[in-house]
Amino acid sequence: MTSPPRWAVSCLSVASVLAAWELAPRAGLVDVTYLSQPSLIVRSGIGIIATGALWRHAAVSLQEFFAGLLLALLIGVPGGLALGSSRRMRRFLDPPIMALYAAPRLALLPVLVVWLGIGLASKVAVVFIGAVLPIVINGAAGIREVEASLVLAARSLGAHRIDLFTKVLLPGSLPAVMAGVRLGVGRGILGVVVGEMYVSQVGIGNQIMQLGSSFQIDQLLFYTMVVSVFGLAATTAVRRLEERWRPWSRER
Amino acid sequence: MSGSSGGWRASLGSGLASFTVIAAAWELGVVAGVLNPFFTSRPTAILSALVEQALTGALLVNVRVSLGEFLLGFGLAALVGVVLGVLAGWYRTVEYALDPFLWFLYSAPLIAFYPIFVIWFGLGAWTVVAIAFLLGMPPVMANTLSGVKRVDRSLVRAAQSFGARDRDLFLHVALPACVPMVMAGLKLGVGRALTGVVIAELFGATAGLGFAIGYHGQLLQTTEMMASLLVIVALGVAATQGLAGLERRFDSWRTGPG
Repeated sequence: MTSPPRWAVSCLSVASVLAAWELAPRAGLVDVTYLSQPSLIVRSGIGIIATGALWRHAAVSLQEFFAGLLLALLIGVPGGLALGSSRRMRRFLDPPIMALYAAPRLALLPVLVVWLGIGLASKVAVVFIGAVLPIVINGAAGIREVEASLVLAARSLGAHRIDLFTKVLLPGSLPAVMAGVRLGVGRGILGVVVGEMYVSQVGIGNQIMQLGSSFQIDQLLFYTMVVSVFGLAATTAVRRLEERWRPWSRER
Repeated sequence: MSGSSGGWRASLGSGLASFTVIAAAWELGVVAGVLNPFFTSRPTAILSALVEQALTGALLVNVRVSLGEFLLGFGLAALVGVVLGVLAGWYRTVEYALDPFLWFLYSAPLIAFYPIFVIWFGLGAWTVVAIAFLLGMPPVMANTLSGVKRVDRSLVRAAQSFGARDRDLFLHVALPACVPMVMAGLKLGVGRALTGVVIAELFGATAGLGFAIGYHGQLLQTTEMMASLLVIVALGVAATQGLAGLERRFDSWRTGPG
């Protein structure tokens, strides 16, 4: 069972793909206009950073993303917990929530643009709609998955409804809520980019669309990489929080 | 089994009830002047727009185009995702080699490849299919991978000691054991592939439901826009429910919690 270590295989495979990508256009196998090249991407990336364009567009996109995510947290976390605690609410709200969850919510983009215009507000709304549903659904599931024996024990030891909620249900459902937040962060990032690609005047998605229509694939791919790295960092950060906030659950 | 189908019927009933209440509130809001029908339209108008689109055949054309692109893109995603996932789950070296790319596909805003695909494939169905494939593939692959990896080692050892070869092991032990994970991956992939179809059509296409939404949106025809949106929601629900049914069917032999 001696196989080469993980990092070595991973590095080797990434390096060989990058090398093939770099060499194929040089060897004349593919047209560099259509495929770009790693070295070109790095060079144009340095240019984008040096002119300050990256920060100018990223600042707008980040603002939209965090505003939308904050709204989604403020509404989604209490909403999900309430939905999980009330069977009557669940019976009424589950069907529309599930229908919205199954549907591609980014299709609402044109509606949101008609309602809120082409500026910041419509992107904030796209992020909100993308992020809020996973948070609500996971929060509701989290409340319902808190072990019934814990609830019973707390009740028989004389816990009030409020105690039950703050000391058993809330901490018990936190990991599920955070898993929802992690999904929501991913949806939100996609939402910002797609929203800006659809219609906007500034922002990373706007740049991606403009660069694409002017055949500047190297710069486009640089922006794509930036968003990917941000997405990876954001989801990793939420995952860390998720793990830190579940010290009481020994298993899993 | 009968209990679960009864539960399904009950949830369908409460679903219809809650949609009826929402539609009624929406309609009354418009009648009472609280909602501006220019922005929100109204259920009765949307319904008659749907009927009209169905009669002129526009609805059928759009559904057919979107559905065709979706089936092709998602079918490819399922095929490639399962094959790559099985390979990576079975051979550790393959897993290590593919892992960084899977991570990239998961964290990248894959719609950003839309302009590149337009350059490669032109403005039309193939670009939409490519986006649907790219979005639908990663969850299928990731879930298949972890499903194959988590196959019970004692089952494998037992089969081996009874003289199973690699091929038998794969076909009769690993493949059936990872069905639930694969199905879960397919369910995740369906939603993402459908999103890919709609967004790619929104950005640039000549037909399809996403195209219809974008087209009517630019003309500020809220009613027609909402009608297409409704059809997309229905398609999404149908696709997820269809897969859930398939999952129950494939997984019916399994006993006990698993």
